[in-house]
Amino acid sequence: MGVLSTLMRGLVRGADRMSEFTSKRGPRTLNKGRSSRPAGVKLPSRKFLSVRAMIPEFVVPHLEGFKLKPYVSYRSPAGTEPRMTAQSLFEQVVAPQITRDFTKGTFNKDQLEKYGFEPTQEGKLFKLYPKNYVR
Amino acid sequence: MRLTALLSMAARVVVPKDYRYGTNRPWTEAAKRLNPPGKKRKKVFVEPIEAKDWTILKGDMVEILAGKDKGKQGKVVQVFRRRNWVILEGLNTHYRFVGKTWDYRGTYIASEAPLLLRDVALIDPTDRKPTQIEWKYTEEGERVRVSSRTGRIIPKPVVERRDGIVPQQWKDGPKDTSPEDTLEKTYAPSLKTLEEEVMEKLGIQEHRRHQKSYWY
Repeated sequence: MGVLSTLMRGLVRGADRMSEFTSKRGPRTLNKGRSSRPAGVKLPSRKFLSVRAMIPEFVVPHLEGFKLKPYVSYRSPAGTEPRMTAQSLFEQVVAPQITRDFTKGTFNKDQLEKYGFEPTQEGKLFKLYPKNYVR
Repeated sequence: MRLTALLSMAARVVVPKDYRYGTNRPWTEAAKRLNPPGKKRKKVFVEPIEAKDWTILKGDMVEILAGKDKGKQGKVVQVFRRRNWVILEGLNTHYRFVGKTWDYRGTYIASEAPLLLRDVALIDPTDRKPTQIEWKYTEEGERVRVSSRTGRIIPKPVVERRDGIVPQQWKDGPKDTSPEDTLEKTYAPSLKTLEEEVMEKLGIQEHRRHQKSYWY
């Protein structure tokens, strides 16, 4: 409407040709869609076969007795924990295991998989790079 | 919003040395219209007050000593240190039309005009009369404003949030986590992603893997 009123001032009438023609603009019979992935296959008989595995399903653990809620109260003070980085995660999880094995004498450079090292992301369900999960 | 407009809004404005500061902030369109780059105006003389001697802060209650609304008390809404101005809420107003278009006369509103610092004075909370203020040190070493007439310390006004919320007086709603629950440390660091941990807990086993696909 803003575009049209400015056009009106220039004494030009007519439909808005420059804006994107989305599904909000046409008649009721226009079925346009806004770039969502189809959850199925389009058959040659022009029917649509819905595939159950392609429809996303939310897996949520049981939230009975869960104390955290969607919003945080304004009264809470700013936290004092430092931001977690890859280095701090390594120091908290992996470094103690490596130092323990090293002092025992069982540390082996070629067996880093038992501390969580992953040489490739092939074969994993949730790959870190390229990241294939939403969060 | 157009990218160019957004960028020009966010860019730091370079003002010349003899820029005349008005009530509009220098990066707004109104200020650019009043002070275009080549314009030179007559110099305004501003009484130099050092930053440490500044007594009136935003949110204070002050009384007007001279002008149309002499004798009235009001809250300071804005302070302009460059020109020693304060704007009080609803006082020293003139009326104008805003939002005029070619066919509509606009909304008639009262807009406040700035007052010079020498025409306002802070109010002493004991007797609610205007007084002169000095900066002095308490026994703890804190620098406070003290009224010359009664010697009472005038506390600094509470800095309000833009949305008007006072955090300490907030009542938690049904969807608010209480501060104790928020600050509880329940995280156990591990190398698994959240999805892997949830799958492990719920006992879901997924052996299918994504087939490599190409699209052009």
